[in-house]
Amino acid sequence: MNAVIAAVSQAFLGLASGLAVGSGLVAFLVVLDVIPRLAQISGTSTRGADLEMAVVTGAVFWTVTDLFGLTVPGPSWPLIFIGLLTGGFVGMMAAALTEVLNVFPITARRLRMEIHIKWLLAAMVIGKVLGSLFDWLYFRTH
Amino acid sequence: MQPTIYLRLRKRVRLPRGKPVLLGDIAQLLTEPEWEGPLLELELHRPDRMDGNLVLIDILSVISKIKTLHSDAEIETFGEPHTLVEVYTKRKPTNVVAFIIVWLLLFFGSGLAIMNFHEDVSMPEVHQRIVYLLTGQTVEHPYWLQIPYSFGLGLGMVIFFNHVFKKKINEEPSPLDVEMFKYEESVHHYVVTEEYRKLAERKRGRRR
Repeated sequence: MNAVIAAVSQAFLGLASGLAVGSGLVAFLVVLDVIPRLAQISGTSTRGADLEMAVVTGAVFWTVTDLFGLTVPGPSWPLIFIGLLTGGFVGMMAAALTEVLNVFPITARRLRMEIHIKWLLAAMVIGKVLGSLFDWLYFRTH
Repeated sequence: MQPTIYLRLRKRVRLPRGKPVLLGDIAQLLTEPEWEGPLLELELHRPDRMDGNLVLIDILSVISKIKTLHSDAEIETFGEPHTLVEVYTKRKPTNVVAFIIVWLLLFFGSGLAIMNFHEDVSMPEVHQRIVYLLTGQTVEHPYWLQIPYSFGLGLGMVIFFNHVFKKKINEEPSPLDVEMFKYEESVHHYVVTEEYRKLAERKRGRRR
């Protein structure tokens, strides 16, 4: 009897926390407007629902593989693409976050650098790439 | 019957310092051809140092000036009820030192921010986990994943800001363009409100 209660309450707890985390992830993506942005760039605005499904299936699939440790032996080269894609996603989140926080309009206007905004943007992008490379190649190995 | 003057104020105008504000500078108008010349040259305001670099010209003051010229004219106005005149002294070129400092600020700041982020979310462990799930090997430094990840990071930011695809795909503005526009609109709104407040204050002062 106790085991049943424990199992049921655990299942309920799991479902509830999963619900909270999942809705949190979606809310975060919605606030940052990442999906509409991607739909706009790729000209797939009419298929927005499919893009949302990609996020949901991706989240569920990787949660399951991670939690159950479903590993498959495989070669290393596909990691290059996984790396590019995951990096691209994080990059978009980072860009969207500065966007929401209005960093660029305010900086550029305060310093009267509206015309140079491209270069300021480049500073941030290059800074992120080199910062990340430094992190992996030097900081974590020395 | 008296002729009608149709008047549309511009939202925002930039004028060099020392030049008086003429009606033609801040408004488009439509009226009898023989009236147009003098009306366009009608002086509305002479900005002095006291005004600062932003002067608000209200539609009511414009109308009262026009009435001094043509007291019986019908005036129809459209669009903005006021024009914000920005008085500029020679546009200063961007300060190179300031620009370099801002550039470096953003450069090192974003580098630090991404490292902090990796630490916060335990990115190395996650990377090792992904590599284990995909290849079945445990690698301490999965460079095959991490180096492309770093470049993908930059790529994602560029895609988001629509720099590469700007003209090629569509004419839609990038989020940055929209953000800049929204910010300027808010500033404009604030300044107009503030100038009205100052105007009312000055009037009250005069009455006393």
